[in-house]
Amino acid sequence: MLNTLIRRLIQMIFVMFGISVIVFLIFFWTPGSDPAARIAGRNASPEVLAAVRHDFGFDRPLYVQYGLMMKKLLITFDLTSFQNRGQKVIPQLVDATPVTLSLVIGGAILWVIGGIVVGLAAAVTKGSVIDRGLMILGLIGISMPVFWLGSVLNLITQSRFHDTWMFSWVPALGYKPLLESPWEWFKTMLIPWISLAVLYIGLYGRVLRASLIEAGEEDYIRTARSKGLTETRVMLRHALRTSLITFVTLFGLDFGALVGGGALLTEVVFGLQGVGKLTYDSLKSLDLPVILASVIYASFFVVGANFVVDMAYAILDPRVRGR
Amino acid sequence: MAASETSITGNTPGQAEPVGAKRRPAAGPWVTAFRKLVRDKAAMVALLVFILIVVGCCLAPYYANSIAHTLPFSSNLDGKIVIDGEERAVIEESTEGLGLGTTPIGPTWKLGGYFLGADDQGRDVFARMLYGGLNSLWIASASTVLCLVLSGALGVIAGFFGGLIDGILSRLMDVVWAFPIFLLAISLSIVLINTSITLGPIVIRSGSLWLPIFIIGIVYVPYIARPIRGQVLSLKNSEFVLAAIGLGVPSHRILWKDILPNVATTLIVFVPLMMALNMVTESALSFLSIGVQPPDASWGTIIQDGQNLLYSRPMVALAPGIAIAITVLTLNVFGDGVRDALDPRSKLRIGGD
Amino acid sequence: MKKSPIGKMRGLGISAGALCISAALFATPAAQAQDHRGGTMRLVAVGAGGTIDPQINYTLQYWQLYQGIYDGLLNFKKGVGEDGFKIVPDIAEDMPQAADDGKTYVFKIRKGIKFSNGQELTTKDVVASFQRIFKVSSPTAGGFYNGIVGADKCLKEPATCTLEGGVVADEAANTVTFHLVAPDSEFFDKIAVPHAVILPADSPAKDVGTDAMPGTGAYMVESYDPNKQLKIVRNPHFKEWSKDAQPDGYPDVVVMDFGLTDEAEVTAVANGQADWAFDQPPADRLAEIGTKYKDQVHVTPLFAMWYAPMNTNIAPFNNEKARQAVNYAIDRNAMVKLFGGKVLAQPVCQILPPKFPGHEPYCPYTKNPGEGKYNGPDMAMAKKLMEESGQIGQPVTVISEDSAVSKSVGTYLQSVLNDLGFKAELKPISSNIQFTYIQNTNNKVQISISQWYQDYPEASDFLNILFGCDNFHPGSDSSVNIAGFCDKAIDAKMKEAMATAVTDKDKANKMWAEIDKATTDKAAAATLFTPKHVDFVSKRLGNFQFNPQYYFMVYQAWVQ
Repeated sequence: MLNTLIRRLIQMIFVMFGISVIVFLIFFWTPGSDPAARIAGRNASPEVLAAVRHDFGFDRPLYVQYGLMMKKLLITFDLTSFQNRGQKVIPQLVDATPVTLSLVIGGAILWVIGGIVVGLAAAVTKGSVIDRGLMILGLIGISMPVFWLGSVLNLITQSRFHDTWMFSWVPALGYKPLLESPWEWFKTMLIPWISLAVLYIGLYGRVLRASLIEAGEEDYIRTARSKGLTETRVMLRHALRTSLITFVTLFGLDFGALVGGGALLTEVVFGLQGVGKLTYDSLKSLDLPVILASVIYASFFVVGANFVVDMAYAILDPRVRGR
Repeated sequence: MAASETSITGNTPGQAEPVGAKRRPAAGPWVTAFRKLVRDKAAMVALLVFILIVVGCCLAPYYANSIAHTLPFSSNLDGKIVIDGEERAVIEESTEGLGLGTTPIGPTWKLGGYFLGADDQGRDVFARMLYGGLNSLWIASASTVLCLVLSGALGVIAGFFGGLIDGILSRLMDVVWAFPIFLLAISLSIVLINTSITLGPIVIRSGSLWLPIFIIGIVYVPYIARPIRGQVLSLKNSEFVLAAIGLGVPSHRILWKDILPNVATTLIVFVPLMMALNMVTESALSFLSIGVQPPDASWGTIIQDGQNLLYSRPMVALAPGIAIAITVLTLNVFGDGVRDALDPRSKLRIGGD
Repeated sequence: MKKSPIGKMRGLGISAGALCISAALFATPAAQAQDHRGGTMRLVAVGAGGTIDPQINYTLQYWQLYQGIYDGLLNFKKGVGEDGFKIVPDIAEDMPQAADDGKTYVFKIRKGIKFSNGQELTTKDVVASFQRIFKVSSPTAGGFYNGIVGADKCLKEPATCTLEGGVVADEAANTVTFHLVAPDSEFFDKIAVPHAVILPADSPAKDVGTDAMPGTGAYMVESYDPNKQLKIVRNPHFKEWSKDAQPDGYPDVVVMDFGLTDEAEVTAVANGQADWAFDQPPADRLAEIGTKYKDQVHVTPLFAMWYAPMNTNIAPFNNEKARQAVNYAIDRNAMVKLFGGKVLAQPVCQILPPKFPGHEPYCPYTKNPGEGKYNGPDMAMAKKLMEESGQIGQPVTVISEDSAVSKSVGTYLQSVLNDLGFKAELKPISSNIQFTYIQNTNNKVQISISQWYQDYPEASDFLNILFGCDNFHPGSDSSVNIAGFCDKAIDAKMKEAMATAVTDKDKANKMWAEIDKATTDKAAAATLFTPKHVDFVSKRLGNFQFNPQYYFMVYQAWVQ
């Protein structure tokens, strides 16, 4: 167990290092990415431009710049943004983390429960109207782009029907810290949670249904049925565990990616300054320090989540002895 | 005895079977599956609807020229159309209050032009939807196929062979999944303004549709490969596979005959899901100028156009979403039919060939 | 308090109180001011405006807020309409008289002005502030302040900048004397912009980033987190010394929250959750706010333009006829529709915006040109010129920003170029990087969509900056003469006009009018329209006033 842990940790470091190098190279490969003129200001004279370039070290070879940036990020912790000069990158990430965690954990609870309920109900009533109905709803959920859904929810709850009893409780957009006011926090996050969860409920519901039906035809399940158990008990007690393999794998991938900043479009639409929004802003302004930091942050969570999932396989399906 | 009477074996009764003689085989599994599929009403209806959608999109030029008489790719800011005998501007200026803003005309619900209304350039949204459908379907299908083939292969290999191979492939997939695809897309879109990328015989220019196909196809590989890998890990230790290994069956036969068919059903389930996700991802990429270039259209670009008209003309953003949903629905129903028809479980119980 | 109609009566300088009959009967103006003093004004913006350092920041977003925080020797008057362009003494006691043929100016410094940290302002701070402009590599160090004696040395070695002989303090007399290399008719404007504000002498000689420096204004920055909020509170050491230059303000606290999208901003103001949105409302909300909230909307003309510079050094637009064809073919009225309609924009064919100093109506690129009116495009003429130019079939790429308006203008332009016979493509690029991208000749940008807003009301700010040979720097991200236009004859006339302006502004403006016509005829760019500014404010906000230099005067409005 410890061996595996150490091995995976080393691999994680390789993955994060590798991605940071690729990101660095992509940045400098992009024409127009040179931040000197944007930092110097509109219509800066050539002397001013040269001074800024020298100040920031843009006139040094790439590998030196990479080394300096990584040192500032991981060792001295004083890497500052190009766009918002003087603002340290790491505190920005730290401040943004609770917002993203609030959004993703809340959304995840919703979609896990929703996905299991939908998948189970569809599998148990296979072929019936309920099954077909859930399938249609699920596919509609997947077909709605998350940025569109978020905008439409805002249009309905903040603008068109804001004054009606249905939505007048919806607070202004923007995050309210949990510790400051839990009730406000909950009211603020509810609509974003729904917006995030809709896509995944549809997806996970479909996948779980398929896995359950597959598992439903296994021998040991037939045995359970022949013993006289109801379909629901069969599904719940016996089939669910093994069919959760796919469910859990996908969950690890999605949760890891979202916590790392994958929910950027949702955060932007709802004015939540989380890691995703930070990433989005840095991409729009090609702010290399923040991009580097957020990419390393994201890859840590992705690799970490996959590791946890691999460990979970052993619990879920005794037949699996994964690495 | 009647000459027409034949038994299942094809022999006439009374004709004794020589012992050990070969029996004429029943109709093969593929033919059986095909027949079963054709009899599945829901699947056939879904297939028909899908074909109708594709045919409708192919008829886009005919619709635009002969029925709607609109030009879906040129800006038409000063255009006027006649509805119910009344002439109206395609882009109407606001006259109430302070007179701020202009609003494109809303859905006319008449096939004679602007059935779903106009977008902010005054172009016919329905005509653009028809033209765009082919682009969207092509990009989504190609990337789905690419993704499923790659993830199927990688997932099976990683799961089955384990060890170092699994380690390398899994970490590779971690890199792909953690990779900031938007950064790459932004970079590519700027790089491709002036230059084109050459990968051996393939030259990629900025408007090339292969770019979104490859990007979307590769980005989602870990999403499917890892569940497949998980499934294979589970299958590897199931009785029939252990038995096959015990019997000395070579790996590639086990993979092909036992593992793949089971994995295939998972892949089939993912087809409509990936088509939907891919069409939506294509929309995000088109915002970053990867893929379909203006003034060409795809359902994804129309959704983006609609985002800016959400408060005044929500139909522009809604229509492509509905189109995506219907397409995905038909594929899902058809896919369920295919899955039921193939039903590898029964093949497995017979013991394979 | 009833919403005042002040927005529509801009330029008359009438205070809201005077229009409210009951108030005129019962209260004196001073008491009224007391009524409205206090409260927190909540502003919203999509993103932060960059560094809080006033000598480096070059965004309207913060120049607007600096008005209450920092002061220069001179400042633009806090007035509306034409009045707002007047330059008045701020930290200086009076406007200095030009001496030595306009090469020497003596500023007498007011006594008793305190920074927000309690320090008293002295001549030392003035000298140090001007040295600092070079030390921190302000973007205008080379453009605005290179005329000061000693500046060239400072540009070469910014770290040791002394401006010796250029900015000289006399502590006993409490004066600071400026020596210029040559007379400069725009000297006062340059002293009045935020890059020349006076900061404490011990301010760090580097970009302060998010750590605001003390100022002398009625307000001070309390905190700044570019991801969340900028918080501005009253300066405890402030005593009003000039109502024209630095008046006391109404709100006690002003916060600017970052992070909403522009749609969300409009919704927030409409719901009363915010008092003013910095960003322009998106096109699909204009009709809504113009009708449902029309009393909360203010539309003000600007000295600005949306234009499409064409690269005069590479194909196909190195051909003058092709450029003129584009100018004839563009339907500027249609462009106006894309921006939001006739109320929000006005079509223009020439470089200088309407009513700008030096502007004389001129529009050659239209049907039946005459008297400078725009009568619609002349497609026949355009096609004829295209034939003559031989550029039919040439590939062209239009570079726009990825904002909704810029993209739609770009899409329309692409359509027009295709009609003319080009093979046109459109490439939107992120707004944050498009401006530097299109300036760099290495990117071979043929035509792009850009805007230009005045720095201060002088014709040279449009004509010389955008079309003067000196402002074309090949291979640099900072070459604001995007068209790469360099016509020796016109350039010589520009230099002549700038020299004439020192002594005779009116004569100079007439010369600028001619230069405007000549440059327009050369069609280095296609000017599209002149935009108006839309301010959407909350119901409770009162006394909205628009200063033409710094736009909405934030601190002069009240929220209670």
